[in-house]
Amino acid sequence: MKVRYQNRIELLQGTLDLLILQTLQWGPQHGYGISQAIRANSGEVLRVDTGSLYPALHRLERQKWIEAEWEVSENRQRVRVYHLTGKGKKQLLTERSRWEQLQDAIAGILSPAKGESKA
Amino acid sequence: MKFPSWRHRQRGDDLKNEIESHLEMAARDRAERGELRDEAQHASHREFGNVDLVREVTREQWGGRWLENVVQDARYGARVLSRAPGFTLAAVLTLALGIGANSTIFSWINATLLSPIPGVADSSGIVSIASGTPQDPAPISYPDYMDLRDRNHTLSGLMSFALRDMGLTGHGKPERVWGMFVSSNYFDVLGVRPLLGRGFVSGKGETPNSAPVVVISYRLWQDRFGGKPSLLGQSIEINHHPFTIVGVTPPMFRGTQTGLRANLWIPVTLEQQIIPGETFLQSRGTGWLIPMGRLKPAVTQAQAAADLSVLMQQLATQFPAEHKAGHTLTLAPLWRAPFGANYYMSTILLLLMSIAGVVLLLTCANVANLMLVRSVSRRREVAIRLSMGATRGRLIRQFLIESLLVALGGGGIAALFTLWTAGLLSEFIPPTGLPVSISAGMNGPVSLVTLLISILTGVIFGILPALRASKLQLVDAFKDDSGNIAGGVRKARLSGALVVVQVALSLLLLICSGLFIQSFRRAQHFDPGFNPHHVLLESYAFFNSGTDPGPNPEFHRKLLERLEGLPGVQAAALADWVPLSLNENSTDVAPEGYVPRSHEAMVVGYTSISPHYFQTMEIHLVAGRDFAVADNLASPLVAIVNRAFAAGYWDGQNPLGKKFKAFGKLFEVIGVAENGNYGELNERPRGLAYFPIFQGHNAGAIIHVRVAGNPLAYASAVEGAVHQLDPELPLFDLTTLDSIMELNTVTQRLAGIFVGAFGFLALLLAAVGVYAVIAYVTRQRTHEIGIRMALGADPGDIFKMVLRHGLLLVILGVTLGLAASFAMTPVFSSELFGITSTDPVTFAGFTVILFLVALLACFLPARRAMRVDPMVALRYE
Repeated sequence: MKVRYQNRIELLQGTLDLLILQTLQWGPQHGYGISQAIRANSGEVLRVDTGSLYPALHRLERQKWIEAEWEVSENRQRVRVYHLTGKGKKQLLTERSRWEQLQDAIAGILSPAKGESKA
Repeated sequence: MKFPSWRHRQRGDDLKNEIESHLEMAARDRAERGELRDEAQHASHREFGNVDLVREVTREQWGGRWLENVVQDARYGARVLSRAPGFTLAAVLTLALGIGANSTIFSWINATLLSPIPGVADSSGIVSIASGTPQDPAPISYPDYMDLRDRNHTLSGLMSFALRDMGLTGHGKPERVWGMFVSSNYFDVLGVRPLLGRGFVSGKGETPNSAPVVVISYRLWQDRFGGKPSLLGQSIEINHHPFTIVGVTPPMFRGTQTGLRANLWIPVTLEQQIIPGETFLQSRGTGWLIPMGRLKPAVTQAQAAADLSVLMQQLATQFPAEHKAGHTLTLAPLWRAPFGANYYMSTILLLLMSIAGVVLLLTCANVANLMLVRSVSRRREVAIRLSMGATRGRLIRQFLIESLLVALGGGGIAALFTLWTAGLLSEFIPPTGLPVSISAGMNGPVSLVTLLISILTGVIFGILPALRASKLQLVDAFKDDSGNIAGGVRKARLSGALVVVQVALSLLLLICSGLFIQSFRRAQHFDPGFNPHHVLLESYAFFNSGTDPGPNPEFHRKLLERLEGLPGVQAAALADWVPLSLNENSTDVAPEGYVPRSHEAMVVGYTSISPHYFQTMEIHLVAGRDFAVADNLASPLVAIVNRAFAAGYWDGQNPLGKKFKAFGKLFEVIGVAENGNYGELNERPRGLAYFPIFQGHNAGAIIHVRVAGNPLAYASAVEGAVHQLDPELPLFDLTTLDSIMELNTVTQRLAGIFVGAFGFLALLLAAVGVYAVIAYVTRQRTHEIGIRMALGADPGDIFKMVLRHGLLLVILGVTLGLAASFAMTPVFSSELFGITSTDPVTFAGFTVILFLVALLACFLPARRAMRVDPMVALRYE
């Protein structure tokens, strides 16, 4: 029997979805671009594993929160570019407010908030 | 196995390209940062991780994996099952019996109740109408039919018909056929378009002297006219009367009387040209037509019934003399139309279907228990799969798919089995004169229902074991089975509950089977008032037309002489009717000296018979004398009446010498015969009058010959005797009086044989079920028993302990089963013959039998438990 793939990233459940949606808020982007953006914007702290990123992208696509199209990049390469849908924008707002609630709650518990750095 | 769907492959290619572009972009970025090209590529691959694995987990998000997973589970399930051939075989065969019982009965229902009149595209809006009550339906008269047709507000059309046997004369030897007299709107109301030519024109040809036209069946066209299209416009002779063929019906269409086949259709207004000496068209008192109407859109059957009943009430008030017997109307959907095979089949088939359903539940309980017992040996497998990340849902699905495989295996065998059993229904109907046409077979709807039943069965018996097996404490599972008492006991409790259900259902089935077997035996040995054994019956007819008075009675007399002279013949007689042959003649009578009550219907059955009829039938002549050859056209009119006739009209008086009026003539009673059953078995005694056949003109007769040995062996001798007198005379409906009896016990025979077989099966399944569970629980407790024995328990105590556990389950099951039987059996009391639905002997007897069998099933494991060697039991740990 085949060993099931274990999700190696230890982001909180649903966090990756939030990060992807937030990244796409700034404009359409391909998978590699999204992973680079998350990495750069988190100050090289968060590294999104491709084994999590692509399932997440395809899951979000199935939920119709994002849509994908094949485009040709400036390097004349065919790339699959994702962009947010109307539903996805609403979902981003929901996820953001949920994240903020969670952050407040955890901060309340830890009082001198250290954040959850381990990704 | 991958499903090579085009969409799936397209998405797969897309994903591959997406990942490749990711890798290229990563490598280019690295190269731009100054890494060597080769190294950059390696590094980006390394960073990306296992490409195949990423693709695999991404694909899982697509959802289309479902089918792929099911196929994977099915393959896995098939491997698991093939590794346990004993279990698989037992489960598949048990289910094959349960499903086969259902698919068989369904194939019969499909052929009768679900397709009441084949060849009619939309038969759901058609209702069958009868005068009288649902228990005692009767045809209606032509004038009543016309009034109902013209004055109702709820039917878009009302037609009527009557099936009669008649003769195709003209070229060659005359042939007996079944023709339907039909109203002119018959084909229009049904929506049947003739294959060739036309039907009848609504509203036309309604006068008795209109042009004689006939529509013939596809079969008659093929058989008698070789399928030549040139027959339209040709003339054929029916009862020596010329008719012009105007149409041929489609192959599927066989008439409107359920289960019976008609060969041709004639406008009802031409009735007088076919039936000698009868004029039914003007007679409001003669019910002979069966009406069927099509409901207007959005009209319910109840609304139509109310509408028509009001009309009938008005007719009864307007013509009281012709409606003495009643003024009610009964409407029925075609599946239980009162005139035809469905009238007899609907109740019994639905009953058999319910009982088959109980059998299926029982087999489900049995197989569920087998699976539960087996799931113990699969605890490790389940634990490993759970620990590897399989969800509970996935496991339940895996188990259910296994169950479905087993159920489909059983269903497959059941389908093969049904290929054979579907045809058995027509075997149950003995060959008599009736044009019975019931052809049940394995076809599309039956296959589909068999498949659905199989799937449903798989879910029913699979769901409990699947839920139970997937709910597993990982820690427990990795310990040895026998060490785990808690899990074992919980499972045993569920098994125990299933055993109780099995015993209860088995007892219910056993009691049903006992009741139906006895009902069948009693019906078979019922004395109908005559001796039905060793009597040959065969009909002949001259098929004279309505205007011809028929043959001289001299022919019948000569024939009778010859028949009586045949070697081996003990007695011979002629009659125009056979009791219990599902048709009857009745007439109004006016007995002298009797004052009728108001609204009393003075109707009795009648038949014309030759001398020695009572001797041939072995009917006791209570008083007076038999007819003689001398009672002929020249002598005074005489009659013999049965005891019910005499008691009804001349109670306490000597009936001999009394006179009564019938057909406008006066008859003198010269004898009294014992009562018999005429319409159905076990009916209450009814009046019947016998007239001498030689005092009338009969177009034909039914030969009755009592012989030694097998009656059918005398067929050629009897036919020889007829053909010596008239080589061209058509003979038909060769049968025996025993077959006529069989026709009346078809439902009892069906029920007796099938429910009887179900009962036997139930007993077997109960025994196996009890044995399997007690043996399993005992094996589970081997360790405990070993300890008890090591601590000094007496083997006798162990024996009692195991037996007590089993007995408790059996007693619970028997109690439930008895309660269910008391509640259920009264439902079918009307289908039982000569036995009450709560017959105490049957109830007690089968309870004892089941109890003893279950006891034996507990006894074997208990004895084995007693012999457990404590050392072996403990070392096993």
